[in-house]
Amino acid sequence: MQLEKILTAGIGELDLCDIAVYREQGGYAQFERAVKELQPAAIVDIAAKSGLRGRGGAGFPTGRKWQFLPNNGRPRYMVCNCDEAEPGTFKDRMLLEYTPHQIIEGILIGTYAIGSRHAYMYIRGEFKRGYETFMKALEQARAADYVGERLFGSDYSVELTVHRGAGAYICGEETALLNSLEGKRGEPRLKPPFPAIKGLYGEPTVVNNVETLGYLPHILRRGPEWFAGVGTPKSTGYKIVSMSGHVQKPGNYEIPLGLPMRTLVYDIAGGLPPGRKFMGIQPGGGSSACLFEEHLDLGYDYEALAGAGSMLGSGAAVVFDDTTDFVKAAHSLVRFFAHESCGQCTPCREGGNWLEMTLERMLHGRGVESDVDMLVDVSHSMTGINLCPLGDSIEPFLASVVKRFPEQFYAYVRTPQTAVAV
Amino acid sequence: MSDVRAADYVGFETGTDDAAERERFAAIVEHLRPECERVIAQYEDARSALLPILHLFQNEQGWVSPAALRACAQLIDVPLSVVESTASFYTLFFRRPVGRYMLQPCRGVACIIRGAEEQMAHFRERLGIGHLETTDDGLFSYEEVECLAACDRAPCMQVNLEFVYDLTNESIDAMLGEMRAGTCAIARRTQTSPPRRTWIIQQDSGKKSAGAQDVLSPDDPGGIGDRSGKDMLRRIERDPELLLARPTRERLVRDGVAILDGEAEKH
Ligand SMILES: Cc1cc2nc3c(=O)[nH]c(=O)nc-3n(C[C@H](O)[C@H](O)[C@H](O)COP(=O)(O)O)c2cc1C
Ligand code: SF4
Ligand code: FES
Repeated sequence: MQLEKILTAGIGELDLCDIAVYREQGGYAQFERAVKELQPAAIVDIAAKSGLRGRGGAGFPTGRKWQFLPNNGRPRYMVCNCDEAEPGTFKDRMLLEYTPHQIIEGILIGTYAIGSRHAYMYIRGEFKRGYETFMKALEQARAADYVGERLFGSDYSVELTVHRGAGAYICGEETALLNSLEGKRGEPRLKPPFPAIKGLYGEPTVVNNVETLGYLPHILRRGPEWFAGVGTPKSTGYKIVSMSGHVQKPGNYEIPLGLPMRTLVYDIAGGLPPGRKFMGIQPGGGSSACLFEEHLDLGYDYEALAGAGSMLGSGAAVVFDDTTDFVKAAHSLVRFFAHESCGQCTPCREGGNWLEMTLERMLHGRGVESDVDMLVDVSHSMTGINLCPLGDSIEPFLASVVKRFPEQFYAYVRTPQTAVAV
Repeated sequence: MSDVRAADYVGFETGTDDAAERERFAAIVEHLRPECERVIAQYEDARSALLPILHLFQNEQGWVSPAALRACAQLIDVPLSVVESTASFYTLFFRRPVGRYMLQPCRGVACIIRGAEEQMAHFRERLGIGHLETTDDGLFSYEEVECLAACDRAPCMQVNLEFVYDLTNESIDAMLGEMRAGTCAIARRTQTSPPRRTWIIQQDSGKKSAGAQDVLSPDDPGGIGDRSGKDMLRRIERDPELLLARPTRERLVRDGVAILDGEAEKH
């Protein structure tokens, strides 16, 4: 199946880290046009008309988010979120390492659109190579006068500061990210106030994902109608999907939203290894519920996945075949969220640890029958009562696989020699 | 910005009163100072420069020493406790020395379902150490980490933050051999102090959770099998009513009133 490439165009064929190559492809022309010809408000309009939704996880309409900024004459900030660490997601790292100028141009357009003069790029600490690549690209952009004072003879000046994280998934959550940018522990803040009202240094701030911003130059070039015409009415445009797990061709694929999941798994990612049977797919990162055979004809878009009780999230699809031990898969994800909990909320901190220990005990053959119910019960009780969505992220996958494959979980507690006498 | 002087760096980790040690560290600060000042100037607020400056010190020393924490506190003018609290939040800052090679295989779900457990067991066996430990010769540190955003090349890992893909037991043996022989393409980490068994500083239980303390998972079961759980079960056996006694709103109000009444009587 032939897919049109937008953000991923040229990756693997051209050296897009070189600013000359990027410019030959039309790079930075849209930022120049924006500053020279377009009012910031016009770009906000274009973003809204395109239907572009956040690609970082929540899927919030980007134009709408920008419109929330108050007109109070205070400084504003644009923050690009490249803290990618959601299990299964590896699209932002690819964009960072292979097409950094596209990200810079997207950040600059977004920054100009919201009337800001200072943007920050937050890069996950583990992405050392990506950080170095981005820094080199930024130097080139600075030397070519795309970043700095009085751009293109106008009175618009912009600064872009790169900030490296240091190993904490929770810093991907936007308010935790802002705390981390302020030199603090990466603990999420209570919302409201939302960052658009009170963000970095207490000023109005927009946080956008790398992929979200990356689409801006293309939307400016081809028009919002083009983007809005792709996908479904509510999930417009393209999305990079990170395909991993039991597929023959794992990798990043840029698809028009709404493509049936069956096409995604079998045609695009090459299907399952020979002789294996499809058991499930986690379609939107570690926080999404597992979907099954009967869901494969659903479209890969925000509404369809939410309608099936899961979500599109960050666009990371992990495919499970019949060799999967779902207890181990659930244990890995629960351990992840327990490990990455910032510890502020009791349900998230204690619940995650408790579930991890219970699963670990089961895996070591010391489970009791009531454990299986307890997994569902604890994960459900800890949901909806936390400061940030991380604490609500364990239940979807755990509950969905316990419900679907109870025999796999009971297999770890039923054998006589493993029952623990209470 | 406060003035940083050599005399301020009394290293309580690497020989308290060692003058040579102190001088060596003062030289590091002088070396890093211009870069630190440039970084601080990038931000509206100096404290924002904390993570970048910690990275600079860690690059220079291989870890974030107590002396480095103090230097950071002075450079951005915040209390030392603030720097310690912040640094301890982030797993990539090592507050004790680590090995020349930081081996970090991924234990994320996409790697696990593609057999990463076998490679992790292989690492443990070949290195003779476990999760969060360093070999006696100070060459290898080992930590099983969360998803590294390279799930299409599972099982994968990072070595000194460089990616290594498609791990097999054979490729691991070859890699470890090259590392021991000094022919590995991945540069060794700076090591200014000898590592210990682990670089992790934590409360005894090794868990964030207070509820998890004294429960030595996995062999001493938590949950229903632990001591407090057993005690509770015994109480329930004696008094099944306990099962029904959920913390209802009415009960909370009643208990609250009782406490208040008690207080009132005292005064
Ligand atoms: C626990 C948690 C982790 C998150 N991690 C990321 C991340 O790594 N990258 C990202 O772009 N958004 C992440 N988000 C979503 C951000 O909070 C925020 O919604 C997003 O960056 C907004 O950008 P967008 O509207 O362009 O998607 C995370 C959210 C939560 C609750
Ligand atoms: S839900 Fe978890 S990660 Fe989020 S703020 Fe609370 S404790 Fe921290
Ligand atoms: S799960 Fe191992 S890299 Fe993502």
